[in-house]
Amino acid sequence: MYYSTIRFAILAGILIAGFCFSMIAWSSFSLSTDHLWGYLFRFDDSSMEQQILATLRAPRVYASLIIGANLAVAGVLMQGLTRNPLASPSVLGINAGAACFMALASIGFLHLDVLPGILVAAVGGLLSGGLVMLLGGFFSPRPHPIKLVLAGIAVNALLIGLTRASVILADDMAYSVIYWLSGTVTNISWEQWHQLWPFSFAGLLMAGLVAKNLNLLALGEDVATGLGLNVAMTRVVTCCAIVLLTATSVAIAGPIGFVGLIIPHIARKLVGSNFLLLIPASGLCGAALLVWADGLSRSIAFPSETPVGVITALIGTPCFILLASRSKLS
Amino acid sequence: MINFRLGSLLLSLGLIGFFSLFIGAVNLSVSEVVYTLLASSEHDFIINQYRLPRLVLAIGVGAGLGLSGALVQGIIRNPLASPDLMGISAGAGLAATSLLVFQPDAPLYMLPLCALLGGLLAAGMIMGLAYFTDPTPARLALIGIAISAFLTSGIDFLMIVNPIEINTAMVWLTGSLWGRNWDQVPFIWWTLALLLPLSFWLAWRLDIMGLGEETATSLGISPNKMQFGALLCAVILASVSVSVCGTISFVGLLAPHLARMLFGHNHRLLLPAAAGLGALLVLISDMLARGLQPPIELPAGVLTSLIGAPYFIFLLQRYKGWS
Repeated sequence: MYYSTIRFAILAGILIAGFCFSMIAWSSFSLSTDHLWGYLFRFDDSSMEQQILATLRAPRVYASLIIGANLAVAGVLMQGLTRNPLASPSVLGINAGAACFMALASIGFLHLDVLPGILVAAVGGLLSGGLVMLLGGFFSPRPHPIKLVLAGIAVNALLIGLTRASVILADDMAYSVIYWLSGTVTNISWEQWHQLWPFSFAGLLMAGLVAKNLNLLALGEDVATGLGLNVAMTRVVTCCAIVLLTATSVAIAGPIGFVGLIIPHIARKLVGSNFLLLIPASGLCGAALLVWADGLSRSIAFPSETPVGVITALIGTPCFILLASRSKLS
Repeated sequence: MINFRLGSLLLSLGLIGFFSLFIGAVNLSVSEVVYTLLASSEHDFIINQYRLPRLVLAIGVGAGLGLSGALVQGIIRNPLASPDLMGISAGAGLAATSLLVFQPDAPLYMLPLCALLGGLLAAGMIMGLAYFTDPTPARLALIGIAISAFLTSGIDFLMIVNPIEINTAMVWLTGSLWGRNWDQVPFIWWTLALLLPLSFWLAWRLDIMGLGEETATSLGISPNKMQFGALLCAVILASVSVSVCGTISFVGLLAPHLARMLFGHNHRLLLPAAAGLGALLVLISDMLARGLQPPIELPAGVLTSLIGAPYFIFLLQRYKGWS
């Protein structure tokens, strides 16, 4: 317990450093820690720098913190639910499904555009996630981990094809949609932040509530049932939390991949596999990763912006290769 | 029966190829097309400079990808293998994209060479990983897809950091024959002309390899050399195809499977059949891509993935060798 407290403290330190870095670094105006300090504690609305922080940077940084936490926690939940180290919202097609439905809605398909974006994304994520589970044989008596992942990849390819086709056929704004499809937090405003946080906190709360049950489920389904756990109920709540967390993130920032895949593995190395510790640790790690990645993504082609999803993919896919080639699987 | 099928494959290739000359933003009558083909007319640009080179390229690229897929599946004896699922196409695509981004005025012949280098590196990467981890076929597919995803995210990165026109980006992200012309034709057709005979020479050796390495050795075939040669062939074909029109996904997976269903497992038939079916797939995709909603152009790779991904799922359902 003592060690994990220290580790949590270190994580929180990295997170706060990332917050400060992302708030002030790589801006077209020179911002300094003084401005940040002023914005946080003595807000002065006559200072232009503090106004920039308040209107442009703050919603973006807060959103990347919470989106990182969302995706990482969704990844932990998926790995706990499927007991598959390669499971994550992006690998099992939930990101792609949510993004595909958002794209279909934006071109007015089936009048989906009358629904709120987050609901559309949730429906898409739920459908594609369900399809992957079904095709990957998750409901069969002996689910095979690689089959699940390969089914996810195939559904991903299908959905990305559909998304691209619908976007290109529909309008000439294709480039901005391609940009959105790689996952970006660039243009997040306070308005989007207010759509984002209630759902995210609800999802994170649900994740916290099922943590104990997931610990039991990790012992195996039979043991968990024997210990008095309602397995079906746990699974349903976990799935709801996953879809809620992923769909809100995708609806606001596009499909940012691989956060949910890497972070749970790092967090497990840090605090062990107790979900009560693992879920908060992943949340912190994910938030730290995304906020640092967003800060760095601005540095790459400054002053133009690089989508943060491209950075997470470049970091995440080698980890995926490593995990896929490790012999422990199956 | 086999001759009939081979004949109808060639016939449909010819018919659909001819038909594809009519598809596009401008409607032309039969007489106009035939007249333009035989002598020049006012539609010379549309037919001879625009649709005809695309037709020739689609056939060449499709044949290259189909043949490459059949060779890869023949060597690795893994039904889930194909150049694009093993990251070879993505490697070639990444190398070609880097060349276009960093050396935009490099001569045209550099593009296939650079793509080949990328394809070879990616093939080396997956073979190295396969050597160290000794994976089951399904895991090999997974590792390949992971490498492919990594290289594709590299392409994505290059495309977004260096903003360019949407159609060009689409060519390299999903594969499309948009804006290709006669300039690219010699590369793919010379490669085919050189490697098609070589792959026929490999065909019966691949059949014997199917009997097991020991039998093959006792019949006078050196398995390692053979595998290396066939793999090199496959990588060259896939890389040159990619350098022409980007990574058109799933053709290298789909064509050999279809060929095996229609023509059986004998490689002497399977290889040409896979080439023909690959050509047919890319041809139809390109035709639809151009003709669904002219003048808007879909990338052909999107259409092949809409056919290919469900087929891949079907393969997974049928696949038995999980453990």
